[in-house]
Amino acid sequence: MFEREEVGTVRNTFRGGVHPKEAKELSKEAKLLEFRPEAGTEMVFVLGQHIGKPAKAVVKKNDPVLVGQCIAEADGFVSANIICSCSGKVKAVEKRRTIAGSMLECIVVENDGEYTKMEGVGEKQDASNLTKEEIIGRVREAGIVGLGGAGFPTSVKLAPKNPDGIKYVIANGAECEPYLTCNDRLMREYASEIVEGLEIVLRLFPNAEGVIAIEKNKPEAIEAMEKACAGKQKISVRALPTKYPQGGERSLITVIAGIDFPTAKLPADVGCIVDNVGTLYAVRQAVLFHEPLCTHVMTVSGDAVKNPSNLIVRDGTSFAMIAEFCGGLKEGKELKKAICGGPMMGLTLSSLDIPIHKTTNGLLLLSVDEVEKAERQQTACLHCGRCTTVCPQGLNPGMMAETAEKGDFERYEKKLYGLECVACGSCSYICPAKRPLTQTFRQFKSEIMAKKRAEAAKAAAGGGK
Amino acid sequence: MTKLLNLSSGPQTRDRWTTPFIMYFVAASLVPAAAVGVVVNGLHSLWIILSSVGTAVLSEFLFDKICKKPDTWKDGSAVVTGLLLALSLSPSTPLYGPIIGAAFAIIVAKCCFGGLGKNFINPALAGRCFLLISFGKSMTLFEVDGVATATPVAELAAGKSVNITAMFLGTGGGVIGASIFALMLGGLVLWAMDIIHGQICFSVIIGFTLFMGFFGGHGFDPKFLLAHLCGGGVIMGAFYMATDYTTSPVSRLGQTVYGVLIGVLGALFRVAGSAADSFSYSIIIANLFTPLIETYIIPKPYAYRKSAIALQNGEPRLPFWKKIPKPVIVLVAITIVAGAALGGVYAMTKETIEEQKRLEKLASYKTVLPEAENFEPDEALDQLIADMAGENYGTDFGKVKINEAIVGKNAAGEVIGYGISVTSGDGYDGDVTLSVGISADDVVQGIAFTELTETPGMGMQAAEPEFYEQFSNKAVRFFKMLKGGGASTDDEIDGISGCTFTSNAVTNAVNAGLDFYHNVLKGGSFGE
Repeated sequence: MFEREEVGTVRNTFRGGVHPKEAKELSKEAKLLEFRPEAGTEMVFVLGQHIGKPAKAVVKKNDPVLVGQCIAEADGFVSANIICSCSGKVKAVEKRRTIAGSMLECIVVENDGEYTKMEGVGEKQDASNLTKEEIIGRVREAGIVGLGGAGFPTSVKLAPKNPDGIKYVIANGAECEPYLTCNDRLMREYASEIVEGLEIVLRLFPNAEGVIAIEKNKPEAIEAMEKACAGKQKISVRALPTKYPQGGERSLITVIAGIDFPTAKLPADVGCIVDNVGTLYAVRQAVLFHEPLCTHVMTVSGDAVKNPSNLIVRDGTSFAMIAEFCGGLKEGKELKKAICGGPMMGLTLSSLDIPIHKTTNGLLLLSVDEVEKAERQQTACLHCGRCTTVCPQGLNPGMMAETAEKGDFERYEKKLYGLECVACGSCSYICPAKRPLTQTFRQFKSEIMAKKRAEAAKAAAGGGK
Repeated sequence: MTKLLNLSSGPQTRDRWTTPFIMYFVAASLVPAAAVGVVVNGLHSLWIILSSVGTAVLSEFLFDKICKKPDTWKDGSAVVTGLLLALSLSPSTPLYGPIIGAAFAIIVAKCCFGGLGKNFINPALAGRCFLLISFGKSMTLFEVDGVATATPVAELAAGKSVNITAMFLGTGGGVIGASIFALMLGGLVLWAMDIIHGQICFSVIIGFTLFMGFFGGHGFDPKFLLAHLCGGGVIMGAFYMATDYTTSPVSRLGQTVYGVLIGVLGALFRVAGSAADSFSYSIIIANLFTPLIETYIIPKPYAYRKSAIALQNGEPRLPFWKKIPKPVIVLVAITIVAGAALGGVYAMTKETIEEQKRLEKLASYKTVLPEAENFEPDEALDQLIADMAGENYGTDFGKVKINEAIVGKNAAGEVIGYGISVTSGDGYDGDVTLSVGISADDVVQGIAFTELTETPGMGMQAAEPEFYEQFSNKAVRFFKMLKGGGASTDDEIDGISGCTFTSNAVTNAVNAGLDFYHNVLKGGSFGE
């Protein structure tokens, strides 16, 4: 039907990858539950929570706000609107501590607990006659960003240079991060809604086929999605082997389109668009119901939390409120580590009094700090080559680390292609010597980037003279 | 302010495997081989193993302490080194062997280069080769129940057949860890667990087998190939020594190149050089190539390979053969050309060497039987010698073999004597081969060496006329070697002082020749 051969070989799986302990059974059976913080709570909206330029606040102190109201507008092309998720009054626009640890500009809203919606939000629309531009416009207005984690503005992703060249729209339901089950629940409970979202996106790309990619460890989700897309010609479900990082954009494209491509290229350059199932759900809500992105799904799990749950949370809620909603800590457990996201690519939190982002898909409360333990077990590099075997990009992490320690930029970039690292963490995970490989690469990459920026600035200054 | 939580860079979870786990697992996989070694060779082997492992761990502990380095003796790598060293030694090695070897392996080959992950040659092999070079005889002397025997590979080199089943089980002699069955068991488990890389061990075995098949002189005779694979540490080398993490390349392509290099070198050394220890040296040489391989073979990330770039540009999928990276094609070509060249040179020189040997032998008959004009082989005689091929001649002469006997005739065509080529395997440092000329009137005309590789200044004195002329022009039934000198009668020979092995070997060889002359050529089952 669709000429797959034309694009590449269909592979069973990508090369490399690891099998971390899944731990999904903790929250797998917990139904999605909506969490609305009560009156009087503070909701904090970070202006720079997506990739690209931070949004510009359009409200000031003491302004009344409603659910669905745009409180900060996208500043430039690669940026996104910030939508208020509660009703109440703007308390302040000030710097607050955020997930990454830095202080960023935030809009603080005092929640009145009423959740009064803005006019028109949530009303069913007739979307059948919308043009492509109008669909993309609604997605932009709704402030939708990729909910897989990176937070790339979806409206930008949906407007590639050559829409007719797109062969695959991949709905990413792989959810390869351990612990996380919110997308699994979303697919099980909102299967037809996701398919509707996918159909809307497919309208933008006349030559594309929709593929819903799900890891095999979620048989119920696979079944639900298959049922939802039964009879739909252009949409199919692909069950993929359970392996991290199956849900990475590049890994998915390798499997589904059969193409490996460098980081300098975008998925659209090789004829693919990858969207998280949560993003597709949000697209459906935005296009069909005029509902901007201010809620999303999230898993709360870990050995230290009392009730592991899957929640529909509102942007701006703090981790502390969410933890409390899930029963707080289990008796007898001490909180050692809190992770925002999954254990492989997630970030650690210094405290729970930090607001969530649109892209926050998990909160893990753990009583064991595995990294601390690993640091004690650290030995010299054995040259065992495990990192090379598991690298999904085909890099040589052992050599890269050695080169980075020597500070050899040239060799790192040109000979070892070090900048191709996507920081998936597979090498650090597998390393028996417990070398902090991914950390080294992240650091060295930012050093190289800083150096490049400095050189470019110097060149520009020189050219100006 | 509440207590802050731990922060760390991701990933926040780690695999359970640690360095000590891998090391102790490798050590555990060697236990079957060690157990078979101890059961077959007796308790002394256990002492060798224990002293080797103990010394290795203690050396690392002391080195860390003295040099004020972090403690690394517990990480298990010293245990593996000690165990591998012990298993590659002869079961009759005196205990100072493993102790010196393990200390050398850990201190010199490993710790002095920076310890775990920094050494450039395999420490266990370094220790073993150090022992071989330093102590020679006592490390390669293989004794079973106090009787010196040859290792299976030495027997193979001598053209004898070996008992493959015994080698497979580990009862066929050789080093402590000679049980192919037990080694394979451990090695395959390691491979299945992904601890060792299949690229290395299988390319070693394939490279070795192919080279042996093409240039070993027996074609692809499965019995011959199996015998070679089972002996001389090929399996231990392929699964345990070559796969040492630190001294082998990391990339798959590099590992394949490295493995084939070991296999080919090992086979080459075995075919063209000395049989024993060919594998130890081939692995050490390949270890030295590892940095070179790692410098030049860095596989490109998947996205930068030719086939991926074609797909990115919307071109059709490349056919299989175009996807093979260029280095592979070049390397395969180099391997084939080099292999063919080496094999060709060997085949050519082999003929020349044999021709040379034949001429030498003929010349030596001429010296020991100067009156003869012609030397003619005799079919019946050749057949007779061929029939006892490989077996020691008689019981009184040690490891002595009759190689050839030839009839010397004068110008008129009358038989005037015989030239006999005898080899004694009891020399101090290898075989002693000599020709004995006996005239038809029972007089030993003289002897001449065709193969003598004894210690210069010591055993090599046998080649001095002073010594070997003692045998000339004597009409005796047997010679007697006097250790302390003072020979007075015709049948007494002054031994070379301090070189009892050599003197005995020569005397025994001459006596065997004499015996052969009297019992076979003259009076016995042969002759007019």
